[in-house]
Amino acid sequence: MYERILVPTDGSDVAEAAVAHALDLAEKYDAEVHALYVVDIDSVNFSLGTEQVDRLKQGRFDEMDELKEQADEATGVVADRGGDRGVDVVEHVSGGRPHKVIADYAENHDVDLIVMGSHGRAGVRRALLGSVTERTLRSTHVPVLVVDYLDED
Amino acid sequence: MTAASLLLQSELLPEALDISFKIGPALLVIGMLGLFLTIGFVFRVADTDDMWVAGRSIGNVENGMAIGANWMSAASYLGMAASIALAGFYGLVFVVGWTTGYFILLIFLAAQLRRFGKYTAPDFVGDRFNSDTARAIAAVTTFLIGFVYAIGQAKGMALVGLYIFGNYGGLIPGLDGYQVMVVAMMVVTVGYLTLSGMLGATKNQAVQYVILILAFVVGLFVVGYTEGYSTVLPQLEYGALISQLGSEFSEPFAGSSYYLWVATTFSLIVGTCGLPHVLVRFYTVESERTARWSTVWGLFFICILYWSAPAFAAFGTDLYSQNVGATYGDPGMTSAASEVIVVLAAQLSGLPDWFVGIVAAGGIAAAIATVAGLFIAGSSAISHDIYTNIINEDATQRQQILVGRLSIVALGALTTLAALNPASSIAALVGYAFSLAGSVLFPMFFLGMWWENANRQGALAGMTTGLTLWSIPMINQIVPTYIGSLEAPLSTGLATWMPAIGSALITLPVVFAVTIAVSMATDEPSLETKRIVRQCHSPEPMGQQETAEDVVADGGEDVATDGGRAVDDAAASGDRAVDDAAAEEER
Repeated sequence: MYERILVPTDGSDVAEAAVAHALDLAEKYDAEVHALYVVDIDSVNFSLGTEQVDRLKQGRFDEMDELKEQADEATGVVADRGGDRGVDVVEHVSGGRPHKVIADYAENHDVDLIVMGSHGRAGVRRALLGSVTERTLRSTHVPVLVVDYLDED
Repeated sequence: MTAASLLLQSELLPEALDISFKIGPALLVIGMLGLFLTIGFVFRVADTDDMWVAGRSIGNVENGMAIGANWMSAASYLGMAASIALAGFYGLVFVVGWTTGYFILLIFLAAQLRRFGKYTAPDFVGDRFNSDTARAIAAVTTFLIGFVYAIGQAKGMALVGLYIFGNYGGLIPGLDGYQVMVVAMMVVTVGYLTLSGMLGATKNQAVQYVILILAFVVGLFVVGYTEGYSTVLPQLEYGALISQLGSEFSEPFAGSSYYLWVATTFSLIVGTCGLPHVLVRFYTVESERTARWSTVWGLFFICILYWSAPAFAAFGTDLYSQNVGATYGDPGMTSAASEVIVVLAAQLSGLPDWFVGIVAAGGIAAAIATVAGLFIAGSSAISHDIYTNIINEDATQRQQILVGRLSIVALGALTTLAALNPASSIAALVGYAFSLAGSVLFPMFFLGMWWENANRQGALAGMTTGLTLWSIPMINQIVPTYIGSLEAPLSTGLATWMPAIGSALITLPVVFAVTIAVSMATDEPSLETKRIVRQCHSPEPMGQQETAEDVVADGGEDVATDGGRAVDDAAASGDRAVDDAAAEEER
């Protein structure tokens, strides 16, 4: 049923809450897990500056050490845990608007299931940030398993 | 203070300006902003499956135009002509200060910053001096610069907005027409900013530059031609007019002192080299060569505006004298009218609304483009330098966005409040930001880049001194204008010798002295820091994707030093064995 499972991660506890679920399913179905980190253009713009967005656009991600480290670390966590359980993990870093990139990735790589964490944000924070998970649900036809972070506590 | 008294106190309406809603100019403003967004959309940052690969690099000319667009604000577009109209040659202080600043930037900082290659201005301060406190002070300064700089922009946008959209005084209870326009324009600006990340910065800015400069220069040529002032080269031909404009125009020091002029010029020069939104561009250019040539082109593109502004001011002043009343003397031209002299000149020439609208729309677009750059520098200072680097090292991208957006909203709100009742002219308001940049950031960049022994203690002492000294004339001259019961300046003597607009003339030498003295009295920085500094000056070209830090981290290979220097350093740092080996290798 599931051959390829996608776990989008930003390295946060919320995202990582989904990892256990994804790996467990992968083990049962003998599936491959894809760990995807999306460099969010909005985040680069607001926290590093518009010039840095331009730098990325010119394909100079390699020289942005801190950003790269953060991405590698986030996907690395999934790879390590997968390794412990004997699950194959493919690490990948993309850039753009997270929900869009996740949906595109799922389509291009024949992903059968997306597993991702969610905050259950409300109020001002939701208005300002929205939810990547919510938007992903709306942009893809691939089944999505949402793991609510609050329930994990 | 009641709403009514606030209203009475600050009626800022330029006389003679035709204030009413005009459909043509309104469409032009909307069209111009729409065009920026469309161009941004066409060259937007596409979502990509892989990280972006091998993109096209950005050339010198395009970078230069982006520098020009980022730089040209309401202060250049409106304020410069305003100060020349009111003060004549004295107003050239802005032309001289701002262009000279780019020379200093070109000679001492542009290429070296490229070699350092980080993200934000506080990044340099924090990494060079190995201190989160220094980083935080630099970040707060960056935020403050964005705020102070933007007050003038808000004022400019609102005054021009009055011409285009009319007077909606009372629409928001307690606010007059100008104030309503401040609020409206700042809302538009902050809204525009939410889209800025998606818009490819450099390409969009290059197009913005072309539109802005065309609006200004075409306006000048048409006014000059239709009024018979000039034919093909108004930038020179306006000279024939000078003797008629009155001695106030041609005898610049009749009303103001030489000292104030020198202090202001100095402040503007060093401030230019310390502005975070100007400096960050050099981190991302392709090579040192590109850094240098982009600066040269940028200066040229800025000069096109600066050569034209004095002519526009002269035409405007003469038209005002003919059509409205004497420019100088009592009552003379008000400062509100002078701020829009560029628009007023076009209007008084009897040109059609839509044409005046082009000139006016250019002013608004210039302000919005610059505020975008300033606010992003401010939001990155808070989100990247303070929040992510100091408060929450594990911050996710979503959290960074949240903090960044909140910073921008805070900057927008602060700016709006301060601009409701602005303390001075557009050019002067911007000048205070230059004093701040020149007092705090420029000394750190200059000493940090050129003197390897500048250390953490020196930087902290220097920046604290700079911030404190900068705030003294601000409290003396500016703060009282916001407090009803006080009269500015609190001390006339202080205002004469340490004017807020030119305070860097006093603060900069003091900050240099403090930084140097404290650095010498305390331990030298680590050898690694020194090597990074030296690497920033190495004659060896660096690879495209290297920063000074990488080179130092990768290589046991020593950097270029002058003679026995490395050995001296080793003795000083007690790291003799390691460094002797390095020195050995060098021979």
